[in-house]
Amino acid sequence: MAGFIFKRLLQAIFVILAVTLIVAFAIRLSGDPAVMLLSGGGNVTEQDLQNIRQALGLERPFHVQYLGFLEGILVGDFGKSFMGATPVSALIAQALPATLLLAFVSLLISIVLSVPLGIYAAVHRGRWPDQMIRILSLVGLSFPNFWLAIMLVLLFSIVLGILPPSGMEGPESFVMPALTMATILTATNVRLVRTSMLETLSQQYIMVARSKGLRDRVVLYKHALRNSAIPLVTYIGLQFGSLIGGIVIVERVFNWPGMGTLAFDAISNRDYPVLQGTITVLALFIILINLLVDIAYGLIDPRIRTE
Amino acid sequence: MKFSTTLKALGLTAAVALAPLMVSKAQAAGTLTVAVAIDPGSWDPIDTFLVDWSSAANNIFDGLTARGADMKLKPGLATSWELMDNNSRIRFKLRENVKFHNGEPFNAAAVKFTFDRLLGEEGKKGPQQSNYTSIDRVEVIDDKTVDFIMKQPDPVLLTKLAGYGAMIVPPKYIQEKGDAHFNLNPVGTGPFKFVEYSPKVSLTLEAFPEHWGGAPKLDKVVTRFISEANTQVAELQSGRLDVATLIPFGLAPTVEKSPNLSLMSITGPTVVSLRLNTKEGITKDVNVRKALIMGIDRDAIIKAVLLGHAKPIASFQSELSFGNDPAMKPLPFDLAQAKKMLQDAKVPAGAPVRIDFRGNDATFREVAQAAAGFLQALGLKPALQPHEPPVLLNDIIPNGKTGEAWHQSWGGWTFDYDNTAYLMYHTGEKWNPYGKDPKLDALLEKQRTVYDVKEREKILQEVARYVADQALELPLYNQNTLYGVNKRVKNFDAPADRRFRFTETTVE
Repeated sequence: MAGFIFKRLLQAIFVILAVTLIVAFAIRLSGDPAVMLLSGGGNVTEQDLQNIRQALGLERPFHVQYLGFLEGILVGDFGKSFMGATPVSALIAQALPATLLLAFVSLLISIVLSVPLGIYAAVHRGRWPDQMIRILSLVGLSFPNFWLAIMLVLLFSIVLGILPPSGMEGPESFVMPALTMATILTATNVRLVRTSMLETLSQQYIMVARSKGLRDRVVLYKHALRNSAIPLVTYIGLQFGSLIGGIVIVERVFNWPGMGTLAFDAISNRDYPVLQGTITVLALFIILINLLVDIAYGLIDPRIRTE
Repeated sequence: MKFSTTLKALGLTAAVALAPLMVSKAQAAGTLTVAVAIDPGSWDPIDTFLVDWSSAANNIFDGLTARGADMKLKPGLATSWELMDNNSRIRFKLRENVKFHNGEPFNAAAVKFTFDRLLGEEGKKGPQQSNYTSIDRVEVIDDKTVDFIMKQPDPVLLTKLAGYGAMIVPPKYIQEKGDAHFNLNPVGTGPFKFVEYSPKVSLTLEAFPEHWGGAPKLDKVVTRFISEANTQVAELQSGRLDVATLIPFGLAPTVEKSPNLSLMSITGPTVVSLRLNTKEGITKDVNVRKALIMGIDRDAIIKAVLLGHAKPIASFQSELSFGNDPAMKPLPFDLAQAKKMLQDAKVPAGAPVRIDFRGNDATFREVAQAAAGFLQALGLKPALQPHEPPVLLNDIIPNGKTGEAWHQSWGGWTFDYDNTAYLMYHTGEKWNPYGKDPKLDALLEKQRTVYDVKEREKILQEVARYVADQALELPLYNQNTLYGVNKRVKNFDAPADRRFRFTETTVE
């Protein structure tokens, strides 16, 4: 196990290098932050732009800037935001928990809903509860999340006036963003649980279990669920990654003070350090999740551990 | 029937279930909540370039001069000033018994410290220094008197002292705590003092009762950072926000229709034009340029696209701007005359007119489409070319790669035509990639040396008329500043430049 983790960590370093290089390079192609900083403000001369570029360290060649950034990562220093010189690490320290908490709550809602629904659909395969669940999940899947978000705000904040339309203030702030995220997740997960369960239920060992005279519930929860959990764990783990990607839009609509908002603002302001820091931390996070998924495999299915 | 009863029951159940989560809709009495789009990240006056900074920080800091919501200049931390030594020295008498929020006294040394910092190394790192380079240095005469020694004349200086980089900062506090601390924990002499700043979320200020202008009537001002316009409006509608500053024209009717809200639409600083390429294409000919202006119905665009929240302009400035000549009228819309002028200039049918514009500006996209419609009616072949803003501003315009016309949007907080006109029309300036006109250059340079208000105004009006005669641009409109305001807010003096000062404002 230790060797396996070591190997994966080594891979992670290369992934981080690639991600940071691409981000650092791509954002520098898309415009000069000095101009963005001065846009709209007074008497701009070429000298002002020079001064600002110098203050931001943009005059240095790309490889120097990039190596400086890598050096910073090693000691946990992502530099300072171009907007007001707040340390990037402080911004991330504030934003990351907000995003993770929202992602976690969304995922939790989705699992709580999709596992029972998926099993129920699989058990009633082809009958009306199955059809109903499948149709609903298709509907859920077809909602664009920003549209759903705006509709929820319209209903709960403006018409009913019971939920705050934006911000992260208390438990009530989580309802709409988490529901928005969970809708699409649940729709996919229900289908996944259903298919995985159906496949397991058609296995011979299930037949054996049944013919041994075990009760339906034991067959379902002890034998079938555990075996069909493997693809689920993989998928849900990977989902966490795409969840973080999809969260950008939801965070923006709900003005959630998380990584998505941070990244979005950093792109609009050409705030290199913030964008680089945010993306690096998110990439690290996704790598970590994948690692955890691999470890979880071993726990669910001891056969994988020995391979 | 049965279905609808079930539905009602379900709705009721949901409402009851969610009731414990109910937000306290009524806001705390005495607290005003404002939303701006961008978190400036630092509250230090010399770090900023954002109007959003001023929307909040104009309550924390004071300048030597001040400007009210009527855009008229009045005394601030200086009670009077006079020009001396052939205008090379300006003497300011400072207000007595003024204290910073931390108890530090305001005096001549604080003024000198502020400007040494702005004009020195620290200021060099920020975007504010360049606005004040006409000042050579500040001399302390006595504790309550300072002299500004000028490097070159700057008639706009008194206005510029009312805001942004010229806001007076506390020397002892900054020297003791350092710049990084000051960025996040600002201290000034203004009517509200800093309480808490949560990056990307909000800034909280509370009343500073010892303010020289009298104690503010509010207890607290909270500024929230919300960059999505729909979200600002939703917050406003749900009663959790008192003033929203990001109201796109499309959302204005929503605010107008809400019973608890009012929409304020006032003259703002932003002017929009189509600048014309005087070097290449059919726009090389001044008569063609005039024909294009006359061929586009600007009033119709204002009415249809901007829903009336703009005014027509004759020159590239707002009617509040110093240098605006109310007697000057824009060329009238006259399609037949425009067609004839194009014929006289021997412009072939289907001649191309390309409009380069900022692709992220949804409103202007519609304006450009409407303008293209009119150009088509003139028998021309318009093409719309959206760009990423940094590409347009940094490459296409300064390097003279534009089509026949390009989108120029501009709004200086000083409301003085000097800055705008100089940057737009002086030879060699970034925003003037094509023009070389010694006569215009001379006028622009001359007004920068004139302190006499009447005389300078006359020169600026001459510049505006000259530009219109040459048809260097197609003046489109002066965009209104829109605020969505909760009706519980009273005595809100909405400023055209969005630099709020909430001393007299109250909430119910």
